[in-house]
Amino acid sequence: MVMEPRKRISERALKVWRIYGIFYSALFLCLAGGIVALAIAFNWPSWISIISVLLFVLFLYIFVVRFPMLRWKRWRYEIREQEIELQHGVFVIKRTLVPMVRVQHVDTKQGPILRKYHLSSVTVSTAATVHEIPALEMEEAEEIRLSISKLVRVADDDDV
Amino acid sequence: MMMSKTRRLHPIAAVIHFIKHLKDLFFPFMVILLFGGNGLSLSFWEMLFTATFIILSLVIGVFSWLRFSYRVEDGELRIESGVFVRKKRYIPFERIQSLDFSEGIFQRPFGLVKVRVETAGSSGSQDAEAVLTAISKAEATAIQEILTSVKNTGRVETEAIVEKPEWVYKITISQLLLLASTSGGVGVVISAVIAFAFQFDELIPYEKVFSELKGFISNGLVFVSTMVFLVLLIAWFISVIGTMIKYADFTIKKVENDLIISRGLLEKRQLTIPLNRVQGILICENLIRQQFGLGSVYLESAGGTANEDHSKALILPIMKRDEMASLLTQLFPDYHFNPTMVPSPKRALKRYMFRHLVPSFVIVILSFILFRSWAYLTLLLIPFSVIWAFQTHKDTGWNLHDLQLTLTYRGIVKNTIFMKKNRIQTISIRKSFFQQGQALSTVEATVKSGLGGSGGTVSDIEEIDSIKIYNWYKHGA
Repeated sequence: MVMEPRKRISERALKVWRIYGIFYSALFLCLAGGIVALAIAFNWPSWISIISVLLFVLFLYIFVVRFPMLRWKRWRYEIREQEIELQHGVFVIKRTLVPMVRVQHVDTKQGPILRKYHLSSVTVSTAATVHEIPALEMEEAEEIRLSISKLVRVADDDDV
Repeated sequence: MMMSKTRRLHPIAAVIHFIKHLKDLFFPFMVILLFGGNGLSLSFWEMLFTATFIILSLVIGVFSWLRFSYRVEDGELRIESGVFVRKKRYIPFERIQSLDFSEGIFQRPFGLVKVRVETAGSSGSQDAEAVLTAISKAEATAIQEILTSVKNTGRVETEAIVEKPEWVYKITISQLLLLASTSGGVGVVISAVIAFAFQFDELIPYEKVFSELKGFISNGLVFVSTMVFLVLLIAWFISVIGTMIKYADFTIKKVENDLIISRGLLEKRQLTIPLNRVQGILICENLIRQQFGLGSVYLESAGGTANEDHSKALILPIMKRDEMASLLTQLFPDYHFNPTMVPSPKRALKRYMFRHLVPSFVIVILSFILFRSWAYLTLLLIPFSVIWAFQTHKDTGWNLHDLQLTLTYRGIVKNTIFMKKNRIQTISIRKSFFQQGQALSTVEATVKSGLGGSGGTVSDIEEIDSIKIYNWYKHGA
């Protein structure tokens, strides 16, 4: 087996993803609430309300507790002199190898929630693909961006 | 310096612009007329509207021709254009990737060509960096020669260099026939005919036709199936003719470091692909062609426009699989075209079955719930998916040969893609929970194609094989 990439993303990513999960659940809450309201208004059998409430609770558990945990556990990355290696995925584990010579540019991005937790995401673009490392400590993200752009300039191209 | 004086397009360009303008506005215009008014009977205002519309298009056409000028100056192609907004575009010859010539039905009678100027920077849009709609062939060749001389010597020269192709391939009539008759264009034609027919809802009394048809149908199933067969035959015939016109005279030449492809009967198109921009080579075999051992070859090339023609260029429309290798080796001596593919293991077949059968089962179950009586027809999907799964599994494989990765996989058609290590942008391996238990993995390789990415994905190969490919791609391997 190939070695897993060494580094993990910030533990605060969990908090951020839970907040995202709560947002998603809010949407589902509207749906479930709507169904319950309809069931009361039109005297539908009570099992409809019960099932939609249960589904909502299940949804809440999956998106707020389970998925963020699994996702965080799986997320690994490693930046070496000649290449970047990523691993992520909840059901399907995906590992990607991006050679430094193929990297075209690196961006750091930060939304309001990430900023609140002092986090930032790094996006690596090649000529054909885009890869994102979510939720890194801001300093680390900055450092990675600088070091990748430095390595990209150094990396020798065996192209021609 | 040659051609430094300002030039205009041939006046026919005004007509072409006018017609293009009309065409662009035709559909919104029809929508307004059909839905805004009462059918096709025009009121005075609608008539006035139509007349204004046509006259305006004509005026714009003429003015855009008047305002369009181009010249070659200081090693740049300088184009000035624009009716309301004046645009000046100066393109250095070094930056021009290719000039594509095409002759449409308007250009042909006057011996003119349309020239599309492609640069690496003309990204982001469907359009080329610049288009000269109609200029004489002599001028076009003159520009081409300047481009060639700049590319060769780094400066603008005025002497003409005669192109001498090192390698030529031309489609034969029998190949053209074969290409046309096995292309999948039938479906497109049928749907176009249906879509077209329903556009005239208001003109053709469908209900009346149908009620009369009912009489016919009760007369017998034979009649209906004959009609269906006839429609299919005619659609197939149209698609054959269409393909033949499109690919007539298909010729591919290698001139120095470029491939020049030309094709077409009514509209002659020419396309230039610099060989150093080739990212990968793709062989496609659709189900029918695969049975006859036939396939077509495409090149994935970088840069250019988002135009499909440019990112995936057809270089051999149809050819026997076993003749392909020797021909392609002449063009791309550093590629290896006869690799022995390592197949997906037998135990992976289950997963292929699963993937193909689940959607069919869903459709079958849904249609039984919804339609009952007709649902039995959907049962046909199941043997079909089983066969499809077998075929897809059979058509999966990979090979590593020095610095080359070859993947075969089937979506709707069977694809074989040949990629060089230094052209691959990224490689990913994926493993789902279920694959994990069986030591299987999915490998995906991406190359640059046009403005985006393309490449290949092989599903459910041995996990150790996927790691082999991954490690091969790793630095210092």
